[in-house]
Amino acid sequence: MNEFYVTIIHRPEMVPEYIQKGTEEGKQENLTRSEVIQESLDIFRTQQQIAHNNGLKTTIQMTYASLFNNEAIAIAKEHHQKYGDEIGSTFLGLQCQEFRNKFKSKELAIWLFSIEDKKKIVDEVFDKFYEVFGFYPTSTGSYYMDAELVNYIKHKYPMIKIAVATCWEEGPKAYRNANNSWYTIFDGSPWNPWIPSKYNIHCPAMNKQDDIGIVAIPHLSRDLLAVFDGPGSYYGTHPQNILRGMVYEDHEIPYFKNLVDQYRSMSKYNRGYAYNMMYVGPGWMSKSGRWEADYNFLLKSYKEGMEYYGQLKNKGEAIIVTMSEFADIYRQYHHYTQPECALWRDILYGSRRQQFWYVDPWMRFCLDMNEGGAMIDLRPYIARLVRPCGVGTKYLQDASYPFLIQSFYRAGYFTHYAGEGAVKSCKFTYEAEEIDLCTCRTIASFSEIGNTRVITLEPVKIEFNNLTISIQSIFRLIEGTGEIEIVRRIIDTTNPDAEIIADEYITACYGTTEYPEDLAGIKLTLKGSSGTESINYAYKCREAEIPNIITSEAIIPQVDTRLTMRTDADNAIGYFREGFAFSPMYTIGIKNTIKGKGELRTWAKVEKAS
Amino acid sequence: MGQGRKGKLNYRCPRCLMREIDMDMLYDQDKDEYYCLRCSFTGNEQEVLRLYKQFRDKYRDRCRRITDF
Repeated sequence: MNEFYVTIIHRPEMVPEYIQKGTEEGKQENLTRSEVIQESLDIFRTQQQIAHNNGLKTTIQMTYASLFNNEAIAIAKEHHQKYGDEIGSTFLGLQCQEFRNKFKSKELAIWLFSIEDKKKIVDEVFDKFYEVFGFYPTSTGSYYMDAELVNYIKHKYPMIKIAVATCWEEGPKAYRNANNSWYTIFDGSPWNPWIPSKYNIHCPAMNKQDDIGIVAIPHLSRDLLAVFDGPGSYYGTHPQNILRGMVYEDHEIPYFKNLVDQYRSMSKYNRGYAYNMMYVGPGWMSKSGRWEADYNFLLKSYKEGMEYYGQLKNKGEAIIVTMSEFADIYRQYHHYTQPECALWRDILYGSRRQQFWYVDPWMRFCLDMNEGGAMIDLRPYIARLVRPCGVGTKYLQDASYPFLIQSFYRAGYFTHYAGEGAVKSCKFTYEAEEIDLCTCRTIASFSEIGNTRVITLEPVKIEFNNLTISIQSIFRLIEGTGEIEIVRRIIDTTNPDAEIIADEYITACYGTTEYPEDLAGIKLTLKGSSGTESINYAYKCREAEIPNIITSEAIIPQVDTRLTMRTDADNAIGYFREGFAFSPMYTIGIKNTIKGKGELRTWAKVEKAS
Repeated sequence: MGQGRKGKLNYRCPRCLMREIDMDMLYDQDKDEYYCLRCSFTGNEQEVLRLYKQFRDKYRDRCRRITDF
């Protein structure tokens, strides 16, 4: 199999926020303003035409407002018949006079309503859809849909098979980027399609019992490296993203094609399968321009994007499918424990940087080759945290899936000269010198042996005062185990008798934002063949180590997670380190003395604690 | 001082952009300058465009078509 699937999704929003805001400058709000509705429809029609001119079928996600617009309905019906476009439904674009009259609310985000209101809105939207088209949609979506909302939809409308369910790494960074006024706070999902768990939409389902009943796709296909450290809305296969990020020169945008091609290349890591999507409304393509781009540039950007998909299709290098078609294909080829892997490279800043992203039903993590393969993101999906969002819930707008490690929110290797940051890495000590692999840039390659995915890093050279060693790191992921095997191997040394301490560690915390959470109650435990040491976290800066370690462990009840490390080395030492209030982290680790061409092999695992 | 209005395009503050905050600017017709409500930036269109160019410089591959994946 070597197949690249593309879904193109258009939504006829009648009163998009951008155009409405622009038109309303100096005027009072009017949801029925005809020039806004007409312009939106014109743009929708243009987008559809561009797709069709390039031989591409689309999924038309009808907004609630568009279900009251005869022209939008007529276009959808005509294009369904003529081009095979799918007519689906979206919970974006709810706001219109009819919605305002019925629900008496200016809320625009389905995920932020109370669960009672969510259910009423779902029923209203789907009933109206049925009234208009005579059938229920099989695809739906929003920027975010929590598991509670999707569970309700699936129960009441079992024909739904796919939804735009999250927006990758649209979290605190996106909020800040929008001057702290755009409440799409949901970091932590997979970046590519997945079958979600019934318990939390971010988590891939473990098995049929856990399967929520739909395939989820992200709102956009984003640049995995640029977006992890930058605004989500700058770097994705949506022309507006790229124009917003100003990734162009003289109106030329090679970055779009580079991004599509990098997504195509993901087939190398996923058994021949790759996916990419374009999901746009009309708001960004306003006649009065968007951001610094005038209409002609906006139009050019969209035309060129669609032309590229069209070229790929014509060459047999892309398969254009509707959302519901894709859902069937994905279920046919994907099994529950199958991970999604991405050895992603920088295509923006001109570095050689790589990151390896991994998702399975147990966890999501990222290794940064710029930091010697350090783990800079870790989300314990296996905890299946039930975190409904919206009014009346504990987390309200914070719909992110919690991390144990997020090195850019919680410092990572570089702290501001005090304390520790969240990262998983390995240190090597010889005599009085200590070097962390975080300081050793490298690049990686991917391979697959049976059901094991292997990330092999190019060796890095560590120079001590009178000793030089080369270290190779290998990460092995055996499907269905939820464990990461990590090998740190000396492959060259200037003194085979020199004794070096290899210290594999995880410094972690938990949370969803940059700000620290209370770590009190976290339990750190060392289990050795001759005893156990354990403390409850109280910011007392305590440390302990024991010989002949079996497991070093942290239980984080706040996120119902057990994080453990083990080794196959005899006589290895296990340790933990409690933090303090200026360094709100905990560390667990395993260290051992090696020499010659020795190695330290450890395993890290996340489990549900309860 | 006159009332700030939207400019001919939706120019964002280039200084805020450099810290990745999208902050629309207002335009003062009397002084022919854009100004930011947040960071105290002021400048005419030429200055705004100059700083945008500087912002884009971080994307060293922005003009490069990459095909070797």
